Amino acid sequence: MSTASNQMRDWGLAALFASIVAIAVFVGHRNHELRARQLELASAGAEAIAEGREPPTGVEAAGLVGAARPSPHYAFLRKRTVITEGKVRELGGAHAPATDKLLYDAAQRFDRNGAFVELLGDNSGRAVAARAAKNGIAVSVVAPSNPAGMPWLILLGALGLGAVIAAAGALVGGAARPLGLALGGALLAIPAYGWGGAGATISIVAGALAITFAQMRGTIDRCAAGLRRHKTALAFLAPATIAMLVLVATPFCVGLVLGFFDHHQGQWTFVGLHNFGEILSGGGRAFDDPLNFWFILGVTVLWTAANVILHVTLGVALALVLKQSWLRGKGVYRMLLILPWAIPNYITALIWKGMFQGEYGAINALLHSAGLDGVSWFSSWSTAFTANVVTNTWLGFPFMMVVALGALESIPRDFYEAAEVDGATGWQRFWHITLPHLRPALAPAVVLGSIWTFNMFNVIFLVSGGKPGGSTDILVTDAYRWAFERGERYGMAAAYGTIIFLVLLLWTVFGARIGRKEEAA
Amino acid sequence: MKWLLVLLIAACGSSREGVVLWHAYNGPERAALEHVAAEWNDLHPETPLTLVQVPYDAFADKITSAVPNGNGPDLFVYSHDRIGDWAAAGVIEPIEFWVDDSIAGRYQKDALAAMAYRDDLWGLPMALKCLALFYRTDRISAPPKTTDELFAMAARARGSYPLAYANSDLYDHAPWLHGFGGVVLDEHGELRIASAEAADAMAFSKRLIDRGVVPAETTGPLVETLFNEGKADMALEGPWFVGDIAKGVPWAVSTLPIVSETGRPAAPFFSAEGVLMSARARDKDAAFAVMLFIAGDRSANERARDAGQIVPNAGVHDDATQAVFRKQLEHTVLIPAAPAMRMVWTPYMTALAKVQSGGESPSDALLEVEREVRRYSEPPR
Amino acid sequence: MKRPRLATLVITYAALTVITAVVLYPVLLVIKKAFEPGRQFAINASPVPSTLTLDHFGDLFGARGGHGELMFLHHAWNSLVAAAATTVVGVILSCTAAYALSRFRFPGRRAGLTAFLVVQMFPATLLIMPLYVLLDRLGLLNSMAGLVMVYATTAIPFCVWTLKGYFDTLPRELEEAARMDGAGAWQTFWRVMFPLARPGIAVTALFSFMTAWNEFIMASTFLTDDSRYTLPVLIQSSVGQYSADWGFFAAGAIVTSIPVMVLFYVLQRFLVGGLTAGSVKG
Repeated sequence: MSTASNQMRDWGLAALFASIVAIAVFVGHRNHELRARQLELASAGAEAIAEGREPPTGVEAAGLVGAARPSPHYAFLRKRTVITEGKVRELGGAHAPATDKLLYDAAQRFDRNGAFVELLGDNSGRAVAARAAKNGIAVSVVAPSNPAGMPWLILLGALGLGAVIAAAGALVGGAARPLGLALGGALLAIPAYGWGGAGATISIVAGALAITFAQMRGTIDRCAAGLRRHKTALAFLAPATIAMLVLVATPFCVGLVLGFFDHHQGQWTFVGLHNFGEILSGGGRAFDDPLNFWFILGVTVLWTAANVILHVTLGVALALVLKQSWLRGKGVYRMLLILPWAIPNYITALIWKGMFQGEYGAINALLHSAGLDGVSWFSSWSTAFTANVVTNTWLGFPFMMVVALGALESIPRDFYEAAEVDGATGWQRFWHITLPHLRPALAPAVVLGSIWTFNMFNVIFLVSGGKPGGSTDILVTDAYRWAFERGERYGMAAAYGTIIFLVLLLWTVFGARIGRKEEAA
Repeated sequence: MKWLLVLLIAACGSSREGVVLWHAYNGPERAALEHVAAEWNDLHPETPLTLVQVPYDAFADKITSAVPNGNGPDLFVYSHDRIGDWAAAGVIEPIEFWVDDSIAGRYQKDALAAMAYRDDLWGLPMALKCLALFYRTDRISAPPKTTDELFAMAARARGSYPLAYANSDLYDHAPWLHGFGGVVLDEHGELRIASAEAADAMAFSKRLIDRGVVPAETTGPLVETLFNEGKADMALEGPWFVGDIAKGVPWAVSTLPIVSETGRPAAPFFSAEGVLMSARARDKDAAFAVMLFIAGDRSANERARDAGQIVPNAGVHDDATQAVFRKQLEHTVLIPAAPAMRMVWTPYMTALAKVQSGGESPSDALLEVEREVRRYSEPPR
Repeated sequence: MKRPRLATLVITYAALTVITAVVLYPVLLVIKKAFEPGRQFAINASPVPSTLTLDHFGDLFGARGGHGELMFLHHAWNSLVAAAATTVVGVILSCTAAYALSRFRFPGRRAGLTAFLVVQMFPATLLIMPLYVLLDRLGLLNSMAGLVMVYATTAIPFCVWTLKGYFDTLPRELEEAARMDGAGAWQTFWRVMFPLARPGIAVTALFSFMTAWNEFIMASTFLTDDSRYTLPVLIQSSVGQYSADWGFFAAGAIVTSIPVMVLFYVLQRFLVGGLTAGSVKG
């Protein structure tokens, strides 16, 4: 009966949620328990050594490590001894067990930071403890141990029982149906309490109640009906969406979150909105200081606008020219004009940089041969900016040209023929036929092209390198510098990325509003 | 010691997948390293060594992301100046545990000290690099001994610049900085960027351009081109330049001149390339054995002979060029491995470019650099 | 069409020539470097090489790896596999998604379309680290599959938007006709719509191929085994810390560009042949 199958479907949803929560808290609990056990053992081992007793079983290596005897010639070399089972020997040397290094490292750490008990940072699962003792440092190293296995019996048992309860509720009908669902879905809360405490129990119960509530209101039924109605569309959409969610949305979310932390010499600290404040306030600098966010934003906007206008104009113009039936050698021109896109842009960007070099570059050579003075391209903002724009236009117009070629292809010839018969001029034909047809196909290229240009790192970095004085840097290059030239401040870089994202989002939303108004008009 | 460790490895039995070493070498240095690796594999088939070449641009980032995730190499070759960062982040393993005085005694003191940071030793040195003065023997019979002689050369116009070097790169500017008595970090590791001596050095670099001694706005690749095409008679370059000199160009090397204003020799930075061990190396004892071999005397001899490297191992025979670099090494300043140093390069480059194009006074520019670097190296509140 | 006036003819050809010359000049400099001996670029601005040598190409094709294998063929093959796979995966994923977004009305359609756009806004250069960790957790690190998926998802937003635009211009009568003939949704898509969107698919395929073919940063970060390296990584290895072998790089750049040119040559007939003109009349 459909009510019974619906009940099982709803129970399935609740059970899925409950299982995820239960497994998550179990794993956390198990890791925590393992960690506590290892640390306890290590501590006990160190204590035993300090008191001269045998360390308990499970301790891989333990001993009383002596003080460091520095080498007379080198400040950074030293030797230590260890007393195990009453015998003294040198740490290290021939035939030494691999654990000797761990004992040595522990003693070093003790000397620097005092007593400690910890799991080793190398993910081996080993625990080490060191404490002061009468004649040295008591150190013990615990071997990695296996964590407890998954409690399959409990999980399956709870799920099975829950399924039965939910089915029974459906069969009885009436008020028993939601009751059965709530009960059956929340059964895993009981073992989850043992693993994750009240928090886990409450979330599972809340999840079950939420599903029950949704069932009573018919929400789930509506969603299921909707999915059925649109199943073809969703089936077509699914592969791309899943790929994007996993590989793009996830790092994206991580990037967003990282912006709230600061990374300083390997440590991550939560700093809330500090990074954003630091960036948006311009770092306490004047507005015309090239390291001020607002200055860089201005440069970036100018950069994007200039490039997009040039790319589209040049690309569309060339595509139009290359469509003329009377033109000879179209194929050859097309192949030649696509070369800037085909050649790896690392080397071509560097060639352009060389061409703009003040003394020996080809551009100044050309100017000299025309009788003009050479320009010192990277000494002033406007010329360096121009150099960047020229290079990026050279690199970017083939893409627009190809897109325009494809777009022009889809315009039926009859329109043009009819327009010619009507006596329309070339310009009128372009304005009334070509452009409206071009716009929808060109739109994605322009929108995405501007996003890519806004975030175009290579050209700026390789050609002007931000010269003069960092003023031709755009937002993404400054973010890069935070990540790699200012002490690996990845948190700042991530916050920067988030701000860039928000700027672009605002611009897109804004632009879409305007676009829609134009269409309506 | 080496043999004892070898026995140790043999005695420990094998669950070996071998040792993986990453490097960014190309050309003759790469060939020499691969030859050394092949020798190790012949001698120790139970501990196979695999070399992986990683492009230099991506190298440091790859190490920083791969090692903490357990995907990195066991060993890698890199210059010493990142040791501070990586040690603080727990990416590399201190190795003084395996090193005793006899091993340490094989290397020049300065070279080994370069691989140390905060009381621990982090690797063994393989090759030393610093700048020296390359000159074309068809243009110059005797290289200048002082900077006044250098200026005198410019006065004799001949259609080429006496010298070419990367003006706005701190690495190339360092000889003048140290020659005037300035430093970046003092001996306590404190920033000493904005000093009168550093300002003098910057003004000097501008004078070099203004008096036509060096071309302005020169980059590394351009220096090499100018030297090869005869548009510059001398170049400040390192041992890697030997392979870049075009065929048919007669050349020689000499030590850098003495700065006439102070009487001190121009002292470039020196960096030590060495083998570092990842903190997540699977078998650290085996990895150290490989490290010892790669940085050992046999390998050093080969690398010095076939790749022209300046090796820190005692008792290795130098050819004429290497002997000059060896002499220059006596007047060098080690690039500080402190994390603050890595934040200095870009702001300093900006400052040099500004001063050399006449946009700012040296002392103002240096104050800005120091302010900026201090800002970046402060931890968040 | 009648022939235009002489003035238009002259101006057009002149403009084309100038533009082509400007476009070609840096390319000629790269070609010149590939054939001239020496590791550095010459100062001479002329695009004609003064001496010719095939040494750089010899170095490129003859480069041997640590075990003596020929690196160029190996890495070229890796690149080809990665780019071809990216093209196939990218085109298929984008086509299906674009078809859904164009033809079907369902809640969240507008949002979905915008979402494809929005995720591109976060600069990719800053996401390499999180992506690295993610691929590691998924077990896709150091694998062709992982790299292909990353490239495909980079190319998808543009492809989806472009193809949606193309599908939008195709009239629905064709699908209705197919439906009346008893074809299912997939049949309709595959037999009717897919072939008609050829110009869009040509652009999409070329774009996906190029996204993967010339990409260097992600390939060198996500591949830790040098037998899996792609061609751009091989070429980039000639750029060292202090100096670079630009002859090798230039030769590599030229050789790397050839497959792209070939692909464009093959695909361009979809961009210019009158395949769709006239076939969409009602």
